[in-house]
Amino acid sequence: MDTGPLYLEPRLAPRLAALLGSPPFLHMLADALGSPLNVLLPDQAAENAEGFRSVYRRHRLGGQVFFAHKANRSRSLVRRLTTADAAVDVASVGELRRALGAGFTADRIMATGPKDPAFLWLAARSGATVNADGPGELEALADLVRRHGLPRPKVLLRLCEFETSGPRMLSRRSRFGTSVKALGPLLDLLDRHRDRVDPIGVAYHLDTTSADEKAIALEGCLRAMDDLRLRGFQPRVVDIGGGFGVSYLAHAAQWDRYTSELAAAVMGRRPPLTRGGHGYGLHAEGGTLRGALSLYPAHRPVAGAGYLDALLSQPAPTLGRALGTLLLESLYDLYTEPGRALADQCGLTLARVLEVRRTDAGPALVRLAMNANDVALEDHGILVDPVLVSREGGPAGPPEPVGVHLMGNLCLEADLITRRTVFLPRLPRVGDLLGFANTAGYCMDFGATHAQQQPLARTVAVRHTGGSWRWCLDEEYWPIEEYGPTSDSGGQA
Amino acid sequence: MRYDSITEAIGNTPLVRIDPAVHGLRHIDLYAKLEMLNPFGSVKDRAAWNMARAALPGAGERGETVVELSSGNTAKALAVIAGMHGLPFKSVTNRMRIAEVKDLLLLLGAEIEELPGRSECLDPTDTEDPLTLFHQRLNESGGAHLHTDQYFNALNTEAHATGTGPEIVADLDGRAPDWFLACVGTAGSSTGVARALRAHDPAVRVIGLVGEKSDFIPGIRNIDEVHEVGLFDPATYDTIESVGADDAIDGMLTLVRRCGILAGPTGGAAYHGAVRHLQSLDAELTGPVRRTAVFIVCDRVESYLGYVKQRRPELMRRPPARNSVAALSDAEVRAAQVIEVADARKWIAAERPLVIDLRSSFAYAALHIDGSVNIVDELFDELVRGGLPFGKRQPVLLACPVGEQSARYAALLTRMGHPDVRSLAGGIIAWRDAGAPLVRD
Repeated sequence: MDTGPLYLEPRLAPRLAALLGSPPFLHMLADALGSPLNVLLPDQAAENAEGFRSVYRRHRLGGQVFFAHKANRSRSLVRRLTTADAAVDVASVGELRRALGAGFTADRIMATGPKDPAFLWLAARSGATVNADGPGELEALADLVRRHGLPRPKVLLRLCEFETSGPRMLSRRSRFGTSVKALGPLLDLLDRHRDRVDPIGVAYHLDTTSADEKAIALEGCLRAMDDLRLRGFQPRVVDIGGGFGVSYLAHAAQWDRYTSELAAAVMGRRPPLTRGGHGYGLHAEGGTLRGALSLYPAHRPVAGAGYLDALLSQPAPTLGRALGTLLLESLYDLYTEPGRALADQCGLTLARVLEVRRTDAGPALVRLAMNANDVALEDHGILVDPVLVSREGGPAGPPEPVGVHLMGNLCLEADLITRRTVFLPRLPRVGDLLGFANTAGYCMDFGATHAQQQPLARTVAVRHTGGSWRWCLDEEYWPIEEYGPTSDSGGQA
Repeated sequence: MRYDSITEAIGNTPLVRIDPAVHGLRHIDLYAKLEMLNPFGSVKDRAAWNMARAALPGAGERGETVVELSSGNTAKALAVIAGMHGLPFKSVTNRMRIAEVKDLLLLLGAEIEELPGRSECLDPTDTEDPLTLFHQRLNESGGAHLHTDQYFNALNTEAHATGTGPEIVADLDGRAPDWFLACVGTAGSSTGVARALRAHDPAVRVIGLVGEKSDFIPGIRNIDEVHEVGLFDPATYDTIESVGADDAIDGMLTLVRRCGILAGPTGGAAYHGAVRHLQSLDAELTGPVRRTAVFIVCDRVESYLGYVKQRRPELMRRPPARNSVAALSDAEVRAAQVIEVADARKWIAAERPLVIDLRSSFAYAALHIDGSVNIVDELFDELVRGGLPFGKRQPVLLACPVGEQSARYAALLTRMGHPDVRSLAGGIIAWRDAGAPLVRD
């Protein structure tokens, strides 16, 4: 058994590390704007996009990198990306309006996800590319185009259930896309609507970390492109979706040690590591560990742009050549839609410590001015320690590692920020801040609610320039040097 | 030796002493139990046969499919045994990372189902992990399956408690070894052998070897994964130690290069783990008394060439090829003759050069320059190693996707003495973007 503190320290890129290394600045922000508070680093998003572009360049591929807007509802990330070599993937009419209002032109916007008529209409009206889910949506789109005299929209055909030869690869069933087995009828439909929609290629998006599954889908797309060409279309885009992942932890060894100890705790061979002995999907049955760890693989040796690079370098399952080479020599452009990976290291969520209560048995309880909906790490199965941001002026005692439980501000037994016992280098004091690093991808505002009239987090955009930090409200951010009042309130677009 | 069935050849494997000059232990005799010499190639032949034997006739009558969760050797043995008895075999796995084993299973007629990877957008309330669903499907009534269940089946352990273990004692002249070391996969062999040896002499020390967590050694579980194994009981082992993939390959190299034992990486891991564990103990021993230790060599090296090549490419170094683009200098590549799309079109019309498209046949079949010949780069690379593949009076235009690869081959052919070979500037992509015609034949 490992008796030391089981830290899961976050991986911090230089910008985020510098931000967390500026406690007076963070306390000033939280004092003024309240807790919880989301802090974004828009410049990091542009740097991440450049990371993906460099992979495109290495494989000599053209095409676009679309930021999946749904990962973060802030304005500043999207606005910053308008000035980067990036595009945007929108999943609702609201996100589409946001993208247009941020300055994205339609050639850099793709509409994905389930679509209502207004969403389809605005996408077609503005000239955005429509990532079509299936025949129903294509019929609806063609009908809108006919009735309203809209310009002929570019569409991508989202496919699923790719077939394999040899070993059968099982994949989770998706509610999205058209089975490749039904591609024939889909092409018949496109044939009928040839003058109303313009199929520029095919797409997949698989919810899996497995590159082998994605390689099968990508090869399936290459073959589907051939089918389009045989029908007289001129497709030139293969869209491989997102799911490139993020590595949240700084140290693989901490993750390995933590998960080993978690298994030991579930087996009863050490004291629990969670409130109430929760096993994150594992349980013990007759001395054997059963179930599966339902946690995000928080330390990933290959993630983000590196994962894309590895996927493109991987040989196609039956054609044998590297997938990137096949795309290139087939003269196809590559579209990707990273969400989490483009928002990696782009921000943090701050929470004020309201109360520290020592208990007779077990870890101390630390109550925060936030609730579990404000930082959705646990909801996404991501285990990572918050960073203690001390309030200046307090007595600096020697560090003494301590395990605590983090409680939320709702009057609800279940409102735990995490069920995990969190180890901190010392016990926090009332007034300290906890900084949850790297929440910008899906974990910042995805599930935030007004439950019990508790405040929603405000969001600010910050950048370090000229030796000091500058900040503005997220909705006031524009990717230009000037700060301060602007003629447009920015909140209406 | 004459047998009526190949399954009779399972077991009774040799126990071979490792030359002390190789392992360097002064007071301990180290023996390898060569389970790789079982007829289907691994230690799993014993378990597979023991688990399936009694159930086969009934399964045959009911027309059942033999099913196992296996990533390699158990699947291989069961595929053979099922085939011999006219039954289909299906292997379900999320761990099959050895391409050669996959191909061999398909050759043996097995069906392989691979479980999906982890979800990228995780839903922690989803308790239906793929493994749970697999077990549910097997347990559905009316399912025609013979599930051998190697991780939980007591017959797996029994194969070794009654076979492997007693064989070791017999070969050591009726004595149990002082140490027994084995890699833990299903825990069947280590548990079964340990049981037999301890029954003979309770003082025997049993060392279980597991993979390092961040690493992957085929056939071995890591320290967390062993807990998922029903047959695994920590009390079986006096110590559990971990071995890294690099150590396993080093151990394997020692066995294959110096001991004449063509072991795979699992055997290498056992050898490395054995010597590492015994070194300090050996140093403390004095006097004339000899001690003995036995480790298991689980399977053979041949299936793991890809695995080794990927991790240690230097072990399979080849001499540099004579005519190779890799040997070109940057200056030579820059000096290659390139031709812009518009000029190339005129040149093709006027002089009919041989147009060679270096892309894959898949891409070529979809669209290409009319009249061009497709020689995929890998093939072209091999052709030119032997010399110029066409006459010097035949002008040649090379085309690839963006004009980089074709420039390198143009430079190489020029170096080899061809007077008029040109590279299409910007490649087929520039050709398309210039609006020049591409055809599909």
